[in-house]
Amino acid sequence: MAPILLWLILFLCLLISVIKYIVGLIMRLTFPSAKIRKDYSWQPTVSVLLPCYNEGRTVYNSIETISKSNYPNDGFEIIAQDDCSVDDSYEWMLKAQRDFTNIPIRVNRNQFNCGKARTVCNALQFSSAEVIISIDSDCLFHPDAIRELTACFAEPGIGSVGGRVGVSNPNDNILTVIQTIVYYAAFELYKIPENWTRSVCCISGCLFAIRRELLLEIEPTLRARHWFGVPVNQGEDRFLTHQTLLRGYTTYINNDALCWTAVPTKLSVLFNQQLRWRSSILRDFFYTMRSLPQHVFKLHPNTVLTLVLTPLGAAVGLLMVINRMVCDPGSAFGPTPLIAYLGLAAAFSWAIKKFSTKETLRHPFAFGAYIAWSITSSLFITPLALFTFDSGDWGTRAKEQQETQSESLHP
Amino acid sequence: MNPSILDPKEPAETVAKRPAKSRWTLQSLVYKFTLTTYRIVAILVLYAVLIGVLAYAWVMGFYAVNSSWAAPVIFSASDEKSLDFMQKLVISRQSIEDIKVDIVRQQTTLAEMDKYRASLQALDRELQTAIESKHAHDQLTGPQLAALDKQKQADNRKTQELLTQVRQIEAQIKSDLAAGLITKGDAATELAQLSQSETAFTDSRIADVMLSDEILDKTTIGTKSLEALEKQAELRSDIAQLDVTLSVAEKQLQEDNRQADRLHDAIAIAKQSPYYLNSNGSGRLYFAFVPYDNQASATVGAPIYDCYLNMVLCRKVGTVKQIFLGEQVINHPIFKSQVRGLTILMNLTHPESAKSQTVFLGRKPLLF
Repeated sequence: MAPILLWLILFLCLLISVIKYIVGLIMRLTFPSAKIRKDYSWQPTVSVLLPCYNEGRTVYNSIETISKSNYPNDGFEIIAQDDCSVDDSYEWMLKAQRDFTNIPIRVNRNQFNCGKARTVCNALQFSSAEVIISIDSDCLFHPDAIRELTACFAEPGIGSVGGRVGVSNPNDNILTVIQTIVYYAAFELYKIPENWTRSVCCISGCLFAIRRELLLEIEPTLRARHWFGVPVNQGEDRFLTHQTLLRGYTTYINNDALCWTAVPTKLSVLFNQQLRWRSSILRDFFYTMRSLPQHVFKLHPNTVLTLVLTPLGAAVGLLMVINRMVCDPGSAFGPTPLIAYLGLAAAFSWAIKKFSTKETLRHPFAFGAYIAWSITSSLFITPLALFTFDSGDWGTRAKEQQETQSESLHP
Repeated sequence: MNPSILDPKEPAETVAKRPAKSRWTLQSLVYKFTLTTYRIVAILVLYAVLIGVLAYAWVMGFYAVNSSWAAPVIFSASDEKSLDFMQKLVISRQSIEDIKVDIVRQQTTLAEMDKYRASLQALDRELQTAIESKHAHDQLTGPQLAALDKQKQADNRKTQELLTQVRQIEAQIKSDLAAGLITKGDAATELAQLSQSETAFTDSRIADVMLSDEILDKTTIGTKSLEALEKQAELRSDIAQLDVTLSVAEKQLQEDNRQADRLHDAIAIAKQSPYYLNSNGSGRLYFAFVPYDNQASATVGAPIYDCYLNMVLCRKVGTVKQIFLGEQVINHPIFKSQVRGLTILMNLTHPESAKSQTVFLGRKPLLF
């Protein structure tokens, strides 16, 4: 009975995912209402919060691209907040402050290392703008990014708006090829049905815009997040999106607001990143389950299904992978999954080449290796995420200290 | 980094929101206890996962390269293959019995037919002799009868001439009677004598005609000869038909004998099957499947080892007793994919090893 139930849950999860991708494709092609009504004439004041930890020179590049934004220079500012980096990130931030004088850049440093979520909150203290945009310090931004984000707030009820995160290093190796396709599929298809219902469950922290009053309302909760007394510093983007929805606001991802991130090129870094993300998903799942009635009555069914089935699928997927490994070890390595993945790779690489030239893939069929990654991910990441809720570091960046310290300060 | 739950550098606003001290202390104790338990469970589970995955990878790798494993198989008399095998065996045996009965019947029939053929051939020979002897006799007596016939015809002509005189005498008698020269009685007697002479002449002519027929029969191929020849032809046809029937029956007998031999051979081979031994053997028999890749390890008399965790702390549990060359296909005990191979009969000193997932032939897989 139990295996049948597990199969049913897994099937339901897969079905919902497939339906979301297919519906996303249909909506992308035919449903104008899936896109938000933008008003570029409304130009609120904007604070770009840039929490940073051990990013080295990358933070300088990020500030540079933001400073070249075509948003009115007197309408936005950058608040760079260093979380006590042990490398030269702070110096790079100060250098950016000196170099890019066309916009106000405020550089601050936490009194002690307190994680990304609290660093965002600390940066917020220095802001008085109407719209807050939190960005990742390792991203590069399109000049229109801020304009595109703020234009979406013209629609009543919008609380948070996210941007489309692209991959700046798609052809570095097999891992980056896989991530490029996954990112593209997620933003261009999977999120579209959520966009249609204005109920995106997770806006990426790479480019996250939120109304000031809403963020101030959420901030105490964000600061107070803890897991049996251990402060929670990860997954603030998912948490903020979730809270936005629970407070009756809507959420949206504007795929015209572009930024690019350098995705992990090493398996260990990718593993840690995915571990943080999976941990956030599971945390969110337990939070959802704890207050399920509230979610059911307040949120769109699409949101509730996504919040419940995504982590449930990961957990059941783990059991299914174990079951397949024990009962039929060769099944995952048969030709059918490989053909399916190669077919997806061909389709997505064509779409990427046509619609996102910057991410064009030279060897798209490397995506076939996603089979091995999905097994590894199901097998290791889910249990590890379940049992590392008490971890609160910045993830991969702490381990990159030695590398970043060795770089020169001068560009 | 793993932040402490009682971080002295905690932001002021968080500190301000702390509950009363006693409640805080109790809560922190609960948190501490929960965290400690969680971390212990986490360590146990994660190490279990790690060990499980490593063990899994090791087992997979081990069985991918090991070439001495065999998978014990317990055949049940009631399992599908055994039942199917026994059903076919019974049918084969029944077929042999049927063929044997057919052979005996055909042999009897052949013997009878041989006897009948011999009698027909004897009859044919006698008939031939009779025909030849009659023919020889006819050739001898025919000319004699022809000569006699000529003599007879001459005699008849003379008699006919005499009968002309007899008619004159008859007229004389009638005239004498009319003249009263003789009595009626004398006349009647004389006339009767004359009539007898005519009758004798007529008989003589008839005899002549019959003699002519007889001569014709003897000197030409007449209907009688043809009848004899027809009978001879019929007889020989019967013999020929009997020869054909005998030939067919002999071939059928030969074919039945060959079929019986083939069935005997098949049964003899089947008796070498593990299913037959399992169904008919006295006492418990222990079999094992050996994939073709590991066939080199399967030699009669080779030691068999059973190991804990399917690979370590091995002990000798018996030897290979017999190797069956018939192909078997089973699911790999670890990989679950289909594997082709053969079956061996094990002579086990530790019968419980027949229930192990795998055993190893020839040597211990990891030297201990």
